[in-house]
Amino acid sequence: MNIQLETLGQTTLVMPQGRLDFGSAPVFQQRLEQLLAGGGTAPAALIIDCAGLDYVSSAGLRVFLLAARAAQRAGTAFAVCSLKPPVREVFDLSGFARIISVHADRDSAFAHLQPGRA
Amino acid sequence: MKQRQTAVAGDAAHLAGLTVFLQEFWAAANLPPTQALPFELALEEVFMNVVMHGAGAGAAPWVEVSLCLADEGLTMTVEDDGPQFDPLSLPPPDVTASLAQRPVGGLGVFLVRQMMDAVSYRRVGARNRLSMTKHIAR
Repeated sequence: MNIQLETLGQTTLVMPQGRLDFGSAPVFQQRLEQLLAGGGTAPAALIIDCAGLDYVSSAGLRVFLLAARAAQRAGTAFAVCSLKPPVREVFDLSGFARIISVHADRDSAFAHLQPGRA
Repeated sequence: MKQRQTAVAGDAAHLAGLTVFLQEFWAAANLPPTQALPFELALEEVFMNVVMHGAGAGAAPWVEVSLCLADEGLTMTVEDDGPQFDPLSLPPPDVTASLAQRPVGGLGVFLVRQMMDAVSYRRVGARNRLSMTKHIAR
């Protein structure tokens, strides 16, 4: 799995590409933990842009859950956007779409995370 | 080509190869790629369950995966010679729990049951046999 990062102002965008399964989940988890580590270095907002993500299993869902909790602890606003249909289906069935802020695209994720509106 | 079978040791390193086995079957049978998700996911969840629960005796169990395409749909059967374990006996996770209260595990089998039309477990001799069937619209 390839993971790209982009910084826009106070927001860090994380773009995982390919398959998020048992094999790749530890790498993705480690990357997110680094970004959301305490010590005042965590970004004000973090968006995981899933436009390049083709597949997610329960091992991948677990990483999203842990990242959402780490973001909460770090005081970082957290959102997920641009889910492809197979990923969206897994999010919906697992109830994750109710506990994690999920948006159709980057723009709506940004709008949601605007300070004072999140 | 309506039926295929493969067997590997119950080691996480074999997940990628099993996924390729499924994808090759899918392509050769001309099945619609958009409907592969339930089977790819079920293969990973069930195989990884065997890998994690099946090494009780020390050695990794032997895992056999077979695919059978019929009128009613595709049936994937995963058999292993590990200790008796019925994944369907696990209680379903609370999918309405809040972010803080969500357990981090237990979703795999739940997702498989949601996505498949039918899932059944049988202990056959010294083997666990989990069968999953889903209709494929063509």
